[in-house]
Amino acid sequence: MTVNKPVSLRHSRSGSKTFWLTTMMLPATIWLLLIRYLPMFGIMMSFLDYKLPTRKVPFPLNLLESPWVGLKNFQFLFTSESLTMIRNTIGYNALWIVLGLLISVSFAIMMSELTRKFLAKTYQTMMFFPYFLSWVVVSYFLFAFLDPTNGMIVRAQRAAGVNVIDWYNSPGYWPYILTICSMWKNTGYSTVLYLSAITGIDRSQYEAAAVDGATKWQQMIHITLPHLKPMIIILLIMNIGKIFNADFGLFWSVPMNSAPLFPVTQVVDTYVYRAYTSTGNVGMSTAAGFLQNLVGFICIMIANGVVRRLDADSSLF
Amino acid sequence: MTTITKKNPHPFRLNMVSRKTETLFHLILLLFALACIIPFIFVIIISFSSEDSIRQIGYSFTPVTWSLDAYHQVFNLGDALWRSYFNSFFITIVGTLLSVTMCVMYAYPLFRKDYKFRGFFSFLSFFTMIFGGGLIPTYIICKNLLGMSNNYAALIVPMLVSPFNIIIMRTFFQTSVPFDLIEAATIDGSGEYNTLVRIILPIVKPGIATVALLTALGYWNEWFLCLMYVTKRELFPLQYLLMEMQRNAEFLARNSSMIGASGASAIATLPSQTMRMAVVVFIVLPIACAYPFFQRYVVAGLTIGSVKG
Amino acid sequence: MKKFLALILAAIMLLTLVPAMADSPVEITMLLEGCNVTDDAAVLEKLNEYLANKIGVTLKPTWGTWGNFDQLAQNAVNTGSDEYDIMFTCSWTANEYAPYAKKGAYVRLDDPEDNLLEEYGAELKNVLPELLFEGAATEGPDGEKGIYAVPGFKDFATMNTWDVNVTLLEKYGYTLEDVEKAGFYGWADIFKTVKEGEEKDGSIFYPFIFEGAVVERYVTGTPIITGDANGLLSYYMNTEDVSVPGAYGNVIFNKFATPEFEKFARQMREYYQAGYIDPAIAIGETATDTWRNAQNSANYLISSEVSLYGYEYTTSEARGIQVAYVMTTDAPYIDNTSVQGAMMAISANSAHPVEAMKFLALLNTDPYVMTLLNYGVEGIHYTLNAEGEVEFNADARATYSPWTNGVGNVTLLPPQKGQGADFQQRFAEFYAGSKKLPIYGFTFDSKPVETEIAAIANIKEAYMLSLCTGAVDVDTALPELLTKLDEAGIQKVVDEANTQLKAFLGE
Repeated sequence: MTVNKPVSLRHSRSGSKTFWLTTMMLPATIWLLLIRYLPMFGIMMSFLDYKLPTRKVPFPLNLLESPWVGLKNFQFLFTSESLTMIRNTIGYNALWIVLGLLISVSFAIMMSELTRKFLAKTYQTMMFFPYFLSWVVVSYFLFAFLDPTNGMIVRAQRAAGVNVIDWYNSPGYWPYILTICSMWKNTGYSTVLYLSAITGIDRSQYEAAAVDGATKWQQMIHITLPHLKPMIIILLIMNIGKIFNADFGLFWSVPMNSAPLFPVTQVVDTYVYRAYTSTGNVGMSTAAGFLQNLVGFICIMIANGVVRRLDADSSLF
Repeated sequence: MTTITKKNPHPFRLNMVSRKTETLFHLILLLFALACIIPFIFVIIISFSSEDSIRQIGYSFTPVTWSLDAYHQVFNLGDALWRSYFNSFFITIVGTLLSVTMCVMYAYPLFRKDYKFRGFFSFLSFFTMIFGGGLIPTYIICKNLLGMSNNYAALIVPMLVSPFNIIIMRTFFQTSVPFDLIEAATIDGSGEYNTLVRIILPIVKPGIATVALLTALGYWNEWFLCLMYVTKRELFPLQYLLMEMQRNAEFLARNSSMIGASGASAIATLPSQTMRMAVVVFIVLPIACAYPFFQRYVVAGLTIGSVKG
Repeated sequence: MKKFLALILAAIMLLTLVPAMADSPVEITMLLEGCNVTDDAAVLEKLNEYLANKIGVTLKPTWGTWGNFDQLAQNAVNTGSDEYDIMFTCSWTANEYAPYAKKGAYVRLDDPEDNLLEEYGAELKNVLPELLFEGAATEGPDGEKGIYAVPGFKDFATMNTWDVNVTLLEKYGYTLEDVEKAGFYGWADIFKTVKEGEEKDGSIFYPFIFEGAVVERYVTGTPIITGDANGLLSYYMNTEDVSVPGAYGNVIFNKFATPEFEKFARQMREYYQAGYIDPAIAIGETATDTWRNAQNSANYLISSEVSLYGYEYTTSEARGIQVAYVMTTDAPYIDNTSVQGAMMAISANSAHPVEAMKFLALLNTDPYVMTLLNYGVEGIHYTLNAEGEVEFNADARATYSPWTNGVGNVTLLPPQKGQGADFQQRFAEFYAGSKKLPIYGFTFDSKPVETEIAAIANIKEAYMLSLCTGAVDVDTALPELLTKLDEAGIQKVVDEANTQLKAFLGE
């Protein structure tokens, strides 16, 4: 064997490796290019006074005919009213990212420690039910308690002779109610992600640690959490990318679109929806979406940059 | 170390949290799980309530009168019901199979540190998670260029690839596949596809099951694609049937004064509130039954421990 | 850069073009609103046979529902699709007639250079009242007024009424006349008596349940101004004679800044605090359900309704009480909103505008076509009884029921059971007594103040329903609302509206 041969073998191998691995990516890549990238020219609409396509000027040539209006479509997002919605959107998101992380990681760890796997499975199945109930259905459920005339809480208060709370007219309670609803709906989803990440951990590591006299708590700190770290970081980064987006149904249906609650329920998505239904301007809604994405993009890039410095393997890209 | 006798009812008590702690865990998880299931029980109760009861006291856990009307109405949908059930299953199964395959095939090279274009393709998919072209351009591309209109493709293809799932899947590869395993396989002369299918996939089963679960839930719950691309009733999935009722009711409620009195009579002919809840029950039950299938891989793996090369 | 962009976009266009196919007879596609149709085979078979012979077209309907129509129409219009030759349109859904006509989504039917209406739909002018065409005239992309849709002949005048539960009223010794005489500002005593009487058993009873989003119009006499999608503007009618201008003349105001609005809001607050108003009608998403449920279960004393000719009979039957409607104006009034309530437009991208026009003309003049499309096939979906009234076959009707008013000229239809053979005649006579508003035909184009409107809509939403149902304190909420509206530029919107109105009236 000459010295050169393994090298050239390695070389051709790595060439064919790249080739075969690339073929794996092809189906999804084609999909991404066609269905995600090709329509992206639509972002232009944020800066246009959109003219309808016609027979003579079909889509997307009508975009060239549409007058350029610069940042006019973004203006409606920056009025005296927009401070509230920006504060609410970012505030709720920040709180919920932290809370959601704590709750679902602890639930996943608790579940992994249960000896009766049947019960663990049952809990987990039950936790997925909220995923199937639309916010509208949830709002009916809440209303059964808070209805100003027949609500169960209201009736109990009336029967007890205490002050009856006018729930849909009292903004003070709603940050808590919305937080509970959000946790209720999303915990099942993220818990399953963490739980299956825990499942991937080699059990012999725990046994070895136990033999060395590590307590359960120490095992969690030194084995479970480090293994969960990539998943935690990835979900964190992706959630940060949605910091300027809100779950429309949660903020619209759950408070029953009650006007006095707006100071604590108005978020970017509800604001844009109301603006869009009142003007029908496609450019404005596209602009709002673009701005939300842009903010998300910047946040992700920053978060990812920080993560890459600390722990390159865990970063998104 | 404790000696384990065969009589021990809990042979795996070894290296487990104390009984007290476990009881506490049970308590916390049980409370939360109950909170998750009670609204669904509430839905079931409403579906068995009479319309009159709702009119009188609103939605309640204790309706004034009970009734099977809602279920009669649902079964009266007849063919439309079973047809949409079939569609939902078909879309979910085909969609999930295709989607998970594409997801795994895209995520695997991204996890391979020795793959040359890793950075490029990571960014390619990540970027679309953040930016999109918006409704109108996507609609035109899908409909006019790709022919997605009144066919199953329109209900499956637009959701095939989820950058979120790709990233999750890549993370599963990272957390459970030791890199030396791939090197060993390569030295043994295993081709890339062979390595992926024979060696890697069995290890990441929990991850695949999780992604498949999330994808299946996504397809099962999907209705917006149907609203956008499908008007043929034979293709409606169950979830859309429900959404149609819901949206009809909402529209009439919002525009009641505009349609005037004829709107009031239109509202009267709408599917009842209780019927909509009965349809929710029909939607949730199959997936609740299918859930343990996925779960086998997610939770059962905990006791077995993962298979390591 | 622009050239490069044009090149890319042109390439995409070539990819997305769908080749048009020639066929004979010509197939006309039509998008309808509010339909509940799951089986149209029998109807289409008969209809297409007839249409092919008569005008050489066949019809392919898309039965839009209340829930999906807006999305389907928006998709078609915004993408310039030729998917539908004919589309339902109106002034009150997201599918707004005037803005779309202005953007060029529809064919101008009375285009001086290619007058489809005159050439292929001359009979329409004989069958449909002239005032319908007057109301259908709107500005096109060229800024000229023209007709962009065939208006539907239906209950075309607005009747804002108080819906009174006479049975309950008389139980407490009041008469309908007492309610009429006292008027909105004087109902406190009646409410008090009835509420106390009904609550003797310990239950809770609300005598006053109405539609909070519009009830202010009933009290202050302000019609909807077409194009004012958010209800920000008020024009004061003369409720004694709606055909002449009111006390302020033909002027538009900021709805919330008038003494009339404040007086109304204070009265509502009084009623609310006294417990006469159901708090659930002040909550956005429960408002309509609560209002309709109260009506349907006869669990109210006074309510609000946009009524119809002959509606007392229907509702009294359905609710098992005696219902009366007290009109808040001297006569039903004709405004754009009611006239543009249901129309059929031809898509600007249609490949067959001529055939589409021929079909629309036939639909609105030929009783056979109209009845077939609306009520289905005689013998399958309905039968005619001895009086010539339609009796529906419930099973078949359940699979085929388009929205009657949304199809076309309803005066071509045979009467339904219980309406009597001369129903259409009485119907026509009744609406002949309605009066045109002095600003009839005026449409507000909000485009120039769009940015302001987007912000204002959000502000208004935060106060409007609460103020109009008395759920919030007027002393704090109203000044707050007015300040915020001012900051967001409401004056600019009002000024723009008045400028446009002046131009419309030719002042």
